Amino acid sequence: MSKYAMVIDLKRCTGCGGCIVACKNENNLSDGIVWSSKITETVGTFPDVRFAYYPTLCNHCENAPCVSGCPTRALYKGEGGLTLHDPGKCIGCRYCMGRCPYGVISFNWENPHPAWRARTETIAQGTTSPAQVAEQVGGEVIPYYNPESAEGYAGIRPRGVVEKCHFCAHRVENEQLPYCVEACPADARIFGDLDDPNSEVSKLVKKFKSFRLREELGTEPKVFYIREFNQGKNSSTKGEV
Amino acid sequence: MMKKPENRNEAAASELKSGVSRRSFLKLAGVGTGATIGAMSAFKLRSLALAENPKSAAMGEWLPTTCQGCTSWCSKQAYVVNGRAIKVRGNPNSKVNGVASCVRAHLGVPQMYDPDRVKTPMKRTNPNKGRNEDPQFVPISWDEALETIADKIMELRDNGETHKYMLMRGRYTYMRDIIYDRMTKIIGSPNNISHSAICAEAEKFGPYYTEGEWTYRQYDVVNANYVLMWGADPLSANRQVSYYNSVWGDVLENAKTAVVDPRLSASAAKSDEWLPIKPGQDGALAVAMAHVILTEGLWYKPFVGDFVDGVNQFAPGKTVREEDFEEIHTSGLVKWWNLELKDKTPEWAAELTGLPVEQIRRVAIDYGKAAPHAICWVGGGPAMQPRGAYGSMATHALNGLVGSVDNVGGTLKANKVYTQSFPGYEDYLDEIAKEGKSHKKIDQRGTKAFPSLKKGKSGKGVVTNNAADGIINEDPNEIKVAIGYMNNFAFSAPQTERWYRALSKIPFVVHLTTNASEFTWFADIVLPATHHMFEKYGYVKSFANGYRQVTLLTPVVDRIWDTYTDETEIPWMLAEKLAERGFDNLLRHYQSYKDPETGQAPANAQEFALYALKHATHKLWDPAVHEGGDKFNGWEEFLATGVWNSDPYPFKKRWGAMKTETGLFEFYSETLKHALEGHAEKHETTVDDILKTCNYQARGEMAFIPHYEEPALAGDEGEYPLVLVDYKSKLNREGRSANTSWYQELRDVDPGCEAWEDVAQFNPIDGKKFGIQSGDKIKLVSVTGKLECTAKLWEGVRPGTVAKAYGQGHWAYGRIAAEKFGKKPRGGNNNDIIPADYDRLSGSSAFYANARVRVEKI
Repeated sequence: MSKYAMVIDLKRCTGCGGCIVACKNENNLSDGIVWSSKITETVGTFPDVRFAYYPTLCNHCENAPCVSGCPTRALYKGEGGLTLHDPGKCIGCRYCMGRCPYGVISFNWENPHPAWRARTETIAQGTTSPAQVAEQVGGEVIPYYNPESAEGYAGIRPRGVVEKCHFCAHRVENEQLPYCVEACPADARIFGDLDDPNSEVSKLVKKFKSFRLREELGTEPKVFYIREFNQGKNSSTKGEV
Repeated sequence: MMKKPENRNEAAASELKSGVSRRSFLKLAGVGTGATIGAMSAFKLRSLALAENPKSAAMGEWLPTTCQGCTSWCSKQAYVVNGRAIKVRGNPNSKVNGVASCVRAHLGVPQMYDPDRVKTPMKRTNPNKGRNEDPQFVPISWDEALETIADKIMELRDNGETHKYMLMRGRYTYMRDIIYDRMTKIIGSPNNISHSAICAEAEKFGPYYTEGEWTYRQYDVVNANYVLMWGADPLSANRQVSYYNSVWGDVLENAKTAVVDPRLSASAAKSDEWLPIKPGQDGALAVAMAHVILTEGLWYKPFVGDFVDGVNQFAPGKTVREEDFEEIHTSGLVKWWNLELKDKTPEWAAELTGLPVEQIRRVAIDYGKAAPHAICWVGGGPAMQPRGAYGSMATHALNGLVGSVDNVGGTLKANKVYTQSFPGYEDYLDEIAKEGKSHKKIDQRGTKAFPSLKKGKSGKGVVTNNAADGIINEDPNEIKVAIGYMNNFAFSAPQTERWYRALSKIPFVVHLTTNASEFTWFADIVLPATHHMFEKYGYVKSFANGYRQVTLLTPVVDRIWDTYTDETEIPWMLAEKLAERGFDNLLRHYQSYKDPETGQAPANAQEFALYALKHATHKLWDPAVHEGGDKFNGWEEFLATGVWNSDPYPFKKRWGAMKTETGLFEFYSETLKHALEGHAEKHETTVDDILKTCNYQARGEMAFIPHYEEPALAGDEGEYPLVLVDYKSKLNREGRSANTSWYQELRDVDPGCEAWEDVAQFNPIDGKKFGIQSGDKIKLVSVTGKLECTAKLWEGVRPGTVAKAYGQGHWAYGRIAAEKFGKKPRGGNNNDIIPADYDRLSGSSAFYANARVRVEKI
């Protein structure tokens, strides 16, 4: 049995946002919905200012409040410890969203990709309409629709259900890394099996003092953060009296 | 020595592979397609179907191409599924960028499938031109479009006024010479105007007049111990962004990093030192650093040399005798010290720069101690300002002091490549063309006030933005027919309103473009172009990581609409129409681009595009004529790989053999002296008069050394109390990505920015001072224009400045980029408030430290 986890090396992270857009690309996310996101903070006052960036995503908690609270078992713990969602069972009650301490579950209030369903032309007959593009090239609603992510989860989630990150289960199942991991240009996201002591993630969480978001809640997140976004160098000093 | 970009997660991938062969933890399948959305009963059916048909690991394949979202020009692969390009990643065959992809690369996908792409040729039906005149475009056939253009060109030729033809180039591939150079010359015009001077030409000025290289640099950051970035933000822009993102974690392990920028940029946010300098004062900091490095004895002696007696005589305020110092690979150090540096103490610079004395000293000493593996990364910041030529020199000269030029862990030029130029055109110039070509250029380069000293020659460089004034004032002549491609000067060049007037004035304007942009708004004919990353052939050269690559743009999918390629196919098609009208020189020239494999001449536009590419890259892929770098067994293998890598960088090869007047790294630039004297002689005057005319402060010998010049800001401080700090969003595809929702939705990945907003960032001190709060709708007003956007109070901005990213403010381009297409912009375009000013020695437009603004609440 595997226990999949991700380590995010904040020192390597450049805060580029590549993970966010790669995830939207891979999983056909509608405008306004993100599975991979970030928390940013600016602290201090000019000129002593620090900016930090923390990538976020579903923590695939061992004790997942979204799973325990789901009335229809649409959210469930799958193989490898993944927190998965079955839109077929989801009744859209959004109870999970209230219970998730990390705010990483989204709800489809409307028919997804509304902008891509429009039939208006900016320049009559000179340009086309969003709906016509997909009709011309194929795809589903969006012309760059990724059919691979439809293997195991809804390729596009319908109105009235929630949706969330599944560690790109469709890729992991095919022995590929989650797409945010593959797409990270800085190699700041490291994926692997915590049950394997020789995996990179196991080694990294042992080597560095790691932290997880809101550990005090006992959710046992599987996303570990190591090092600091701005780990500036320091010179020796004894201070003064 | 150089670190090859690699995927650190390969280890993790192999772990997955070494486990159970196929995981099947997805017990439940979901709804898959748009067609079944809402049809809940379809779930079980699909689930069943999946169980019966085991899926394949991959539905598509990765095909090679190139991203031109910025000038990084990364070699890429596109993931193609059923004829659709749905994802991109770095080309693993590239030694320059490897598999890494910056964030903007992904935006190429929705850009390709943008519904607002022009899908057919169009013509204008509203004869009136202007910002508020809807062109009322209607679709026409390619034949009608090309015949109309050919008729207009023939009219010029018949009347002996081919010099009134103009070609404007924006972003380009190296197929550019077909349309930019050859077509313009054979028609008979001097007026091929590139965008280069609104890019970063001034950045090349310092390197050229110190080490003889008119080029951007690559930086050996993984072997550096100090990386000092001047108005450069390599994690967002400028340049090889994918590569630098991929190794930045390693850089931070080995090097101290510091950023000189009035704004806390993405790179500054991760650096050891942020030097939030007052705009335009980079030169002051640079010469003060040089002062400290010399007085502290930290210069790199194996490169620069030493005092004859080995005792450091550089002391504040004291001149040094030239004969007491023996230089090795440099020239003019003592002159530089005596003329400029001896009094330029950190205390002097602190006042001007607004930086603490201690920080200036600390950074200078740390930088000097890291010699020779200490990089000054000269970005557009200190260079693309009025008088920026000397900022460029002063900042780059520090690389000379610490011996990092051409050195391990230092600043490098591009490696050698073996691409070749297109066949000669001279035989195809007729008398009309020769006469037409001999006229002066519309951008007034080389005139007394525009030396534009590219590569040491008066008037060799372009003055892109001044072409608008040339057109408006008919100086040197009127322009009657103009073609623009992959450019948008009405948006991307400062003081945009001048371009509205210039383009309105030209009787016949053609635009080759993917989207109907602000430039298109003034066009008479619009020709829809292929998307660079997915629909066309071409090649570009780029460098980083100690390598240079030649990477191919290839048509990885079929064209969506009735489009042709701007630099190759369209010139061919136009040449055919000209030939039909009795002028076949251009077509005959193009027919000389033979397929190197078969010797066959092209018979149509598509063959022409392909043969031209094969010709230009012949020595890279044909083993019979191979000269260096990666070797292929033929064209097909090169095409499938998509990229050729050079040989590794030959470090220190140029020490003592630089292409300057002295052959040395020049702190006193004999090369610049020669160039300035040449320009003065041409105008029968003195160098001092030229400097005065061009608004520089230097006189006499000062003109030839890196030195401090005061910033030249437009606007009275009382009326315009803030200084604009323009910067580039990491999501910009050079102003062409704002029509994607991903661009708008992710805008908050730029530090201190907001999603779906175009914010101007103020320090909270200024917020209080001017009564502005975050979220307020505001107007920024300069001496030349105004824009509307949203205020954001943020500590990462120097008080007294307002920082705002370029990229928004489109009033055309498409439904997302503009709030109302043709009418209302989304946010504001910085170029509406940046005055058209120049660093005249390089011809560059000033984007930084030249606009004072005031803020008004709406």
